[in-house]
Amino acid sequence: MTQLILYNTFNGLIIGTFYVLMALGLSLILNLSGVINFAHGGFLAVGGYLAYTLSPYIGFWASLIAAPLLTACIGIAIERTLIRRLYGRDPLYSLLLTFGLAFIFEDMTRAIWGAQGLPFTPPSFLTQPISLDFFFITYYRLFMMAVVGVVVLGLFLFLRYTRLGVRIRAGTLDLETVSALGVNVRALRTMNFAVGIFLAGLAGVLAGGNLSLEPTMGANVLMPSFVAIIVGGVGSLHGTLFGGLLIGVASGLTTVWFPSASEAVIYVIMAVVLLVRPRGLMGEEGIMS
Amino acid sequence: MSQGNNRRIIRRRQVLQAGAALGALQFAAPFIIQARGETPIKIGMVDPLTGAYAAVARSEVEGAKLAVQEINGNGGITGRPIELLVEDSANDTGTGVQKTRKLIERDGVSFIIGDVNSGVALAIAQVTNEKKILHIVPGGHSDAITGSDCHWNVFRVCNSTVMDGNAIADVLMEKFGKKWYFLTPDYAYGHSVQAALVKKLEAKGGKWEGALAPIGTPDYSSYLIKAKSYGPDVLINVMGAGDQVNSIKQYVQFGLAKQMPMGGTLFELESVLALPDDARAGWWTYEWYWNQPKVPQVAKFVADIKKQTNQIATARHWFGYVSIHSIALAANQAKSVESVAVAHALEDMKLPPEVGLIQNTAYFRKGDHQLMSDVFVGQAHGAKGNPDDLFEVTDVVPGEKAAGPAEQSGCKLTYPA
Repeated sequence: MTQLILYNTFNGLIIGTFYVLMALGLSLILNLSGVINFAHGGFLAVGGYLAYTLSPYIGFWASLIAAPLLTACIGIAIERTLIRRLYGRDPLYSLLLTFGLAFIFEDMTRAIWGAQGLPFTPPSFLTQPISLDFFFITYYRLFMMAVVGVVVLGLFLFLRYTRLGVRIRAGTLDLETVSALGVNVRALRTMNFAVGIFLAGLAGVLAGGNLSLEPTMGANVLMPSFVAIIVGGVGSLHGTLFGGLLIGVASGLTTVWFPSASEAVIYVIMAVVLLVRPRGLMGEEGIMS
Repeated sequence: MSQGNNRRIIRRRQVLQAGAALGALQFAAPFIIQARGETPIKIGMVDPLTGAYAAVARSEVEGAKLAVQEINGNGGITGRPIELLVEDSANDTGTGVQKTRKLIERDGVSFIIGDVNSGVALAIAQVTNEKKILHIVPGGHSDAITGSDCHWNVFRVCNSTVMDGNAIADVLMEKFGKKWYFLTPDYAYGHSVQAALVKKLEAKGGKWEGALAPIGTPDYSSYLIKAKSYGPDVLINVMGAGDQVNSIKQYVQFGLAKQMPMGGTLFELESVLALPDDARAGWWTYEWYWNQPKVPQVAKFVADIKKQTNQIATARHWFGYVSIHSIALAANQAKSVESVAVAHALEDMKLPPEVGLIQNTAYFRKGDHQLMSDVFVGQAHGAKGNPDDLFEVTDVVPGEKAAGPAEQSGCKLTYPA
């Protein structure tokens, strides 16, 4: 039993890192632009499918970078033409827009790549377990964790030490002042959106190794990622990081006793957090409370 | 002032409309009477073209379209052509019911076909029963459709979960042993198929454990950890569509294929095609398979589907194809498109081999309106030469044997007085 609990705790951490990748992108966009991006799962699917199409030509490793970059370009185009128009309005408008975009993305991927699932396989030396006892730790999952670790570290360094990163953080706190100081807020928001979508595209490529590529693949990881943000606290990237890992572990541990509640448990956690501490575990006061 | 304007516009429009209607009536009326013999017979099809079951739903629609082409090229139903109207249920009960009502009330369809999702199919059946419209369920497997919730107007092409479970249970016990671990989706279909398998297993003194996984679970590692710690002779994977694909993909990556064999009821060709070659394994049932050397008529059907869709024919294509042909055959025999007459004609009607496309004769049995057709038991494998050759049939179980007597299905049919 203890072994089962230990296994599932560790396994939950692995799942959690994946939620973190999605949730950080969502969080970036939400914090600076006030847009709840329901189409994030659609961008994830597009990232995975692009990698599937590109990998026969440029290989798995190059498509791991190229596919998220292309997805980010699509993100920029959509931000410039559609989402930008709704900044400053009630968040409900952008929520409805991205909700519609999510459906359009799903049907577009279906029209281009077909309704049938597609097999996307990472290099075979990655898709093996490290040992017989720890069969659930494959090299691929370790690789995924490493990529997420590097990306998260890179993101925090980027936000702390680069000019653009500092401006994004400043804009999150007080956009009006940042704008008054002569920063091009429109460009800032576009770049920030692109970074968020890049993370979604990367999550898509990584997910393609574990899951089959399907037009609906993003939808199943989107809700847990939102929950991660709410549990961690809107406005805090550290909170999002913590929230993602927390719900991953909680959902993994629940399968030890009540497998059918493994999905429900993350919503229970969200409900408890909202009741006891509406701003989230590490959230700033005032945004959600 | 503006009110007065409005009123005047309406009045002018009404005059125009009345004039147009009068004019049209004079010329159009004889035309309608003349054309009545060739008005198409409308068949409505409701299937989840978007959502998790989109791939299998599209196959069903493609199969149905092929049947419509064949029938229309061959004199139609009592001389009238068929018009197929397809609607998307989006894998949602409310949408499915609404689309069905629209097809019946607004489009005036004579028959309804649908849905892949058993829950949606059952809800649609309530509507078609209320409207007294003949309804064929091509691919919803829950036992209730031709069991406790059966209706006089509802017929089903695909197998019930009991049929699939009965056909494979003995094979799994013989091949692997009597200690099973279930990976089951947490909804009507999963519960129903697990119950059918458990019944057979316990009757032979086997033991089991299992986990119910919510639909759309992306990660199966914690379930597989549990399964492995139980140490079963065989892992029974009855997850559906994409969930089954994802769980098998992870099972293979974890190297479990070498330690714990896998089997179950359905592992549809659409799902097999979505997996990498090394993940195509295990013992399963197919409800129809394209490679049947003993049935000469199958080759033409496979070739026609390939020509139309550039894909291999799957059981889902066959479901759609059989649904339309059955309606046409029964309506031609009854010389009517009236649902009660067609339903009576359909009962125990033997499908000709070019429609049934199996070794034995397929028919909808009178007791519960379930199609009696062969169940193909065998083993999935990686592509051998032909990229579509992914399953080896070892045993063909006749439908009657798999289904058991109709009296046991719990179905009581009562026709309207």
